[in-house]
Amino acid sequence: MNVLEIRNLTKKFGDFAAVDNMTLSVREGEIFGFLGANGAGKSTTINMIASLLRSTKGEIDLLGRSISANARFAKSNIGIVPQDIAIYEDMTAYENVRFFAGLYGLRGETLKERTAEALEFVGLGDKHKSYPKNFSGGMKRRLNIACAIAHRPKLIIMDEPTVGIDPQSRNYILNSVKKLNEMGSTIIYTSHYMEEVEEICTRIAIVDHGKIIADGTKEQLKSIITDTKEIWIGVRSAEPVQVEALKAIPGVLSVRVEEQTVMVSSKAEVGNLNRIIQQLIKDQAEIRSVEEQAPNLEAVFLTLTGRNLRD
Amino acid sequence: MDVWPIGNKAVLLGFIALSAHYRGYPHDAWLILAFLLYLSLNIAIPLFRRTGPQLALAALSAVLAIACAWRLDPLFVLVLPVNLYELAAASKRSGWQAFLTVLLPVPFLPHPLIALYLTCACLSFLLLACAGHYAGRLAALEAEREKNRVDLQKLAKTLSENDEYIRQSEYTIKLEERNRLSQQIHDELGHSMAGALIQMEASRRMLASDRDKAAELLGNAISISKEGLERIRLTLKDLKPKAEEIGINRLRLFADELSAKRNIPATLSYEGDIDVITPIQWKVIQENATEAVTNTLKYAKATAIHIEIRVLNKFVKAVVSDNGQGAGKIVKGLGIVGMEERAASAGGMVIVDGSRGFSVTTLLPVGE
Repeated sequence: MNVLEIRNLTKKFGDFAAVDNMTLSVREGEIFGFLGANGAGKSTTINMIASLLRSTKGEIDLLGRSISANARFAKSNIGIVPQDIAIYEDMTAYENVRFFAGLYGLRGETLKERTAEALEFVGLGDKHKSYPKNFSGGMKRRLNIACAIAHRPKLIIMDEPTVGIDPQSRNYILNSVKKLNEMGSTIIYTSHYMEEVEEICTRIAIVDHGKIIADGTKEQLKSIITDTKEIWIGVRSAEPVQVEALKAIPGVLSVRVEEQTVMVSSKAEVGNLNRIIQQLIKDQAEIRSVEEQAPNLEAVFLTLTGRNLRD
Repeated sequence: MDVWPIGNKAVLLGFIALSAHYRGYPHDAWLILAFLLYLSLNIAIPLFRRTGPQLALAALSAVLAIACAWRLDPLFVLVLPVNLYELAAASKRSGWQAFLTVLLPVPFLPHPLIALYLTCACLSFLLLACAGHYAGRLAALEAEREKNRVDLQKLAKTLSENDEYIRQSEYTIKLEERNRLSQQIHDELGHSMAGALIQMEASRRMLASDRDKAAELLGNAISISKEGLERIRLTLKDLKPKAEEIGINRLRLFADELSAKRNIPATLSYEGDIDVITPIQWKVIQENATEAVTNTLKYAKATAIHIEIRVLNKFVKAVVSDNGQGAGKIVKGLGIVGMEERAASAGGMVIVDGSRGFSVTTLLPVGE
């Protein structure tokens, strides 16, 4: 079942197309990553999904219903963590979450329960009486997330939620994204940090100039450039290495041996590093270093668009 | 659409009849006749498809309603709005005009009736206008569907004709090519082979009697065969397309020409196994490169152009980039849209970027 379905979405500002005929679908239970440089059209797309912007052309369906025709339904099933922190500094953490959850229509006991639950979830349970103006950047981010999830939306959209925060809060946020996902929420996650997207997303779309250039799992995306990886193993001496035995390991395509290096070229999707190393140990080659050279998402982006993510 | 006015009138007539009954109105044969007459007139209206008779019948029943209201039961005036609306609609008046027509009798009514008349008139008007509106929409949709169906038919027909045409031309081309080949083999090789054969036959016969002559004949046969072999080679070489006509060579020629004629150094590089690029993809790449270079020459004020072909695992990427002034926000003209369409026809896409010089990247899927 598709939680979100976007068809031929276009947003023009004057003659400039910020989002250009975009078509994509997000399935239930996915953490869907939107990877692209600044100005690629990620936030514009998200603002249209959240009905903050009107599209020039195209349709967006949430849970099978058009969001333009079912605005209330759409809004109550989407939780959005905006790029710029949106909380009230002179209200306590608890009041902030209660206020936003109230906007989504929660009342009475449910409101209280869910507010406490959301604060607990982001690790601010003990800080519920504090004012956000005394919070660190990371804590503000977490509070921002709590405001978006208290009403238990089906789809949570996080627009660069880790910009400008400390590593600890960042890990916390990444973990909570995974946890939210395990609890049944579908998540759209945008970032220009390739490592984050690679770590948590189950499916990724690479966006550039308002278009989706490629989408798929990270393995699929990487296999766009090549489906081989190079494993370089430094050894004290390559003499005892039995090349034929290495070649017999599944996935291995070729083996080259220099004096102190064994270079194995292998199919990228086969996890055979263990067996290769076992073989080398069996041959009594003294391993000094192991280096795997597989393409990463950054390389995919660079190869396809000719630009860096952080240009 | 036809049922709506009838239903409307039926409800109104029912109301008139019921209220006549409860007010203890004497059961008058005239009144019943009036009802029946009105009913038959109005049922007749939708039976006619032309506006003329419909207009006449609607007018007639309006007159009947007025007459009945005057002579029999004043409530009869309540069916008048429907007939008036029908008159207005049949003579193609706009919504407001129809509404005013419906309200026309108000000044002539006795005061106690005005409120009731207004209610009936407004409700009837709303109902009929609504029904009319949606019937119109429905008709438009139907017409569109019909048109789509016809279009679809036409397209399917063209498609199958094209398929047939392609099949035919493939066959014709094969036939022509086969003809040309057999002609060429006959002309070039047939004669040599026959000549060599005759010489060899003669040599065999003379082998016993005149060895020198036989050796000479055999020598002739050998040289004729050699010549024939050379011709085979030439023929085959002829059959292959010229190297500069395909793929990377054509692009190289293009880049060289640019450097020579336009005085802009153009470089070309490629990486990966370019043999996997199909002729159709080469065509897209070639045409997009031409278009991109035209843009560069027109707008970029560039001093160098680079063309790069790179075959990745699942994509082939062709980039034309320049070192010119670029463009902050790209406004797509016909050129870029054309490139996008060409790429899309081969399942690919185009990325245009103006942040560092101007670059046009064509991505086409390979190997699937």
